[in-house]
Amino acid sequence: MALLRQAYLLLWKDSLLELRRRDSLLTMFFFGTLLLFVFHFSFDPAPDKVAEIAPALLWLAFLFTGTLGLAQLFQPERENHCLDALLLSPLDRGALFLAKSCFNLVLMIVVEIVVIPLFWILFNLRSWNLLPQLFLVTLLGTIGFCVLGTITSAITLRARARELLLPLVLFPLMIPVILATIRCMENVLRTGEFGDAIPWLRLLLSFDVIFLTVGILIFDRVIEN
Amino acid sequence: MHIIVENLAKAYRLLWALKDLNFALKPGEFVAILGPNGAGKTTLLRILAGLVSPTAGSVKLDGATAQRTKIGFLTPADHLYDNLTVRENLYFFTSLYHQQKNSHAIDQALQQVSLADRADEYAANLSSGMKCRLSIAKWQLLEPELLLLDEPYGVLDGSGVDVLEKFLQGQCATGRIVVVASHHVSRVLKLSSRALILNRGRLTFDEIKQQPWPSFDKAYGEFLPHGDSWRS
Repeated sequence: MALLRQAYLLLWKDSLLELRRRDSLLTMFFFGTLLLFVFHFSFDPAPDKVAEIAPALLWLAFLFTGTLGLAQLFQPERENHCLDALLLSPLDRGALFLAKSCFNLVLMIVVEIVVIPLFWILFNLRSWNLLPQLFLVTLLGTIGFCVLGTITSAITLRARARELLLPLVLFPLMIPVILATIRCMENVLRTGEFGDAIPWLRLLLSFDVIFLTVGILIFDRVIEN
Repeated sequence: MHIIVENLAKAYRLLWALKDLNFALKPGEFVAILGPNGAGKTTLLRILAGLVSPTAGSVKLDGATAQRTKIGFLTPADHLYDNLTVRENLYFFTSLYHQQKNSHAIDQALQQVSLADRADEYAANLSSGMKCRLSIAKWQLLEPELLLLDEPYGVLDGSGVDVLEKFLQGQCATGRIVVVASHHVSRVLKLSSRALILNRGRLTFDEIKQQPWPSFDKAYGEFLPHGDSWRS
C-alpha cells in the first residue's frame, strides 16, 4: 500500500508539472502527427496492402514519439538536483519506477487516441469497427514500451549523450514487444478477430508482466548507480 | 543518534577525494567542516547523506548503516521543484517523508522563514535566498536527526542568516546533529561546538571549540588570504 501511495504522490507531482509546462505532451503530439503526414505522402500502398503495413508504420510513429517523451521523463528531477532530494528521502524506488512508467503511459495514450484515428483517415482504412481491439493491443504494447523505456531512461540518466544513448539502448530491447504488437495488430486487421493473434497477445502480456516485475525489483540499483 | 565514520575514502577515478577519515558525531553536536576548495567537504556531506557510496570505509548511524528518514541535506536553491508552488513543494516533500502536515503547520513554517506571502508562487519565481529559506522551512517540518548543510550562508541576507541560525540552534538544542560545510568561517564558528578541517581529502584538524583557539588559528591560517584573519 505504501508503494502505491508513494507512486500516486509522484504521479500527482509529475502530472501537475506537465500540465504547467506542457513540454512532453505538445512535443509528442506534434511529432506524432507530423510523422503520420510524412508517411502519408511517402507511401501510397494499394488498399489490400494497407492492413499489412499499417501496424508497422503506426508503431514506428509511436516508437519515435515515445522516445521523445522518455528523453524528458526525468527532466524535472534533473533540474535543481531534485533526483538527489528523492533519493535522500525514504521513497521506495519501486514507487518511482511505477509512477514514471504510469506517467509516460498516460502521455502515450493521449497521443495514441489522436494519432490512431488520424492514421485511419489518412490511409483511408475502412475497418473502424476494429479500433477497440486494436486499441487494446496498442495498450499492451504501450505498457511494454513505457516500462522498458523507464528503465532505460533511468540507466542513461547520468550519461553525457543520453538523448543519443537512449534509443540505442532501448530499441534493441524493445524488439520482442514491437514484434508481438505488430504481428498481433496485423492478425486483427487481416482476420477481423483475435483468433490467430491470441499467442502474440499472450506473449505481449508476458513481456509486460516480466518487465514490470523486473523494473520494480531492480530500479533501486538502476537509479542509485 | 550517533554517527561513526570509519576509514572513509572516496576515489574519483585516480583521484582520492577523501582518504582515511575517522571521526564520530554525538547527539546535539554542531560541527563545522572547513577547508579550501576541492578539500572534499561536499563529497563528505554527500557520503554522509547516503547519496554517494564510499570507495572504502563506512558510515554508521546508531551502529547501523544509513537510515534515510533521519538525514536532511540543505543545499541552498536546490532540491526544490521550480514549477510547484512554495506550498506544493512543502506538501510534496512532507508527504514523501510520511509526515503529511496540515496546511496550518505548513503556513506556520512559512511564516517563520518570512515566506507566508509567497506561499502560492512558483519556486522558480523565488530568489536564491528565498529558495534557501524555503529549504529551511522544509527541513523544519521534516525534523531530521542529522542535518547536513552545504555552504548555506552565501545566498542569505541578514535576516535570512538570523532565521537559519535560530533554526540550527533549535536543532542542536533538541539533540539533533548539525554539520555545516562553509567558507564563512567566523559565521559558522559562532554556533559550532567543534571544527573539522579537510585538506586534499584528509582530515588535518578535529577539535572541540575553545576560546581562545590558537591551534585552530594555526591550522586554518594557511587557507586565508594573505594577511587576513578568519575573525575579520
